Amino acid sequence: MDKMIDDEMLVAQFKSGSQKAFDELMKRYERRIFGYLLRSVRNYEDAEELTLEVFFKAYRALGTWEPKAKFSTWLYTIASNLSIDFHRAKSRQPVYMLEDEDVIEKRLIATDISSNPEKNLEDKERGRIIREAVDELSAKQKSVFMLARYEGMQIKEVAETLGMAEGTVKIHLHRAIKKLQTLLRPLWENNEI
Amino acid sequence: MEKCKTSEARVIDYVYGELDQSESSAFEQHLATCSKCTRKVYSYSHVLHLVDDAESEFLPVALAPRNLEAKLYKRLADAPPEKNSILSRLSNYFSNLLLVLHEQKVASICIFSIAAIAVAFFVGNPFRPTTLDINRINSADARIEQYRHNDIQRNLEDVLRKKHLRHSDSWDTVSQLNRVKDQAQGTDWANIAKNQLKRVHSEF
Ligand SMILES: [Zn+2]
Repeated sequence: MDKMIDDEMLVAQFKSGSQKAFDELMKRYERRIFGYLLRSVRNYEDAEELTLEVFFKAYRALGTWEPKAKFSTWLYTIASNLSIDFHRAKSRQPVYMLEDEDVIEKRLIATDISSNPEKNLEDKERGRIIREAVDELSAKQKSVFMLARYEGMQIKEVAETLGMAEGTVKIHLHRAIKKLQTLLRPLWENNEI
Repeated sequence: MEKCKTSEARVIDYVYGELDQSESSAFEQHLATCSKCTRKVYSYSHVLHLVDDAESEFLPVALAPRNLEAKLYKRLADAPPEKNSILSRLSNYFSNLLLVLHEQKVASICIFSIAAIAVAFFVGNPFRPTTLDINRINSADARIEQYRHNDIQRNLEDVLRKKHLRHSDSWDTVSQLNRVKDQAQGTDWANIAKNQLKRVHSEF
């Protein structure tokens, strides 16, 4: 894998008929897109399905894609739109599935990079409650928060990805942290400080 | 005590690390004298720590989705084609040819097919029924078609292996072969599956 070849070059190679260029782009971004979607839908199977959909759409549209933003930004845009559609379709409640955490854990153990094995149940339960609070954010708040916090994006890039003004991104970020504070306050009032 | 006029937005920007260096150090100077802002900073930072911990517990390392590449090309193969490609025209030609041969009920095709599956199954030769040199056609269509053929071949081999090892009864074998036959429509594999079906019927 040649890191010196940038994404734009690979896109150009794909447009001139190289399949390998697309495989390389996929290799570069499959983990990031999958992680983003996994946090978004909290369900392993759905996240895999959506990741496939992202690259399927990208594959079909890339031939006529005119780069206005980075390739990675474009992928995140596709992923964000798909996850919003997904939540809309499942709007009854984005049920938090504990089984999927088990699937993830099994895979982590299988890849031998398991997290703290002695993590006790109480910690796990706490983590689950916190993630449920994150999932309580509105779709836009959550997307903005996730992109800025876990995908390493600057506000400008989040704005590009979600097609929002930078000011709007900031508003969502602010609302997100305030809402999380409200939701999580009982947790630390009971257990900490 | 002087009433603090710092906006909530400034506190949050500070916690998110969105202030530039001079703004940030000015705010830190203010923090040294303002307990109200200090409390807010502590509270918001704590929220972010909790969430960060919970999220990294959820996904401590970046995982890759399973078999994405194979699934993608299979998905592309299953999707309706966007344009009339050389390969789909070729594959139409082949399936038409097969139809003609089939209607003439040429016995030799049975022999050919059984021989072909025997080669594919026992020798593991990557036999390509459409006789196209995939390597020479470096196009999306070729790749998609290759994945499709590999998939069909794998399924067919799987059925035959199970049948051979008596891991499935005739009913299972028949339904699996029918599935492969459907999947293989438009390729030689469909014919091979059909012949295998005939054999199963005569055996049981
Ligand atoms: Zn203050």
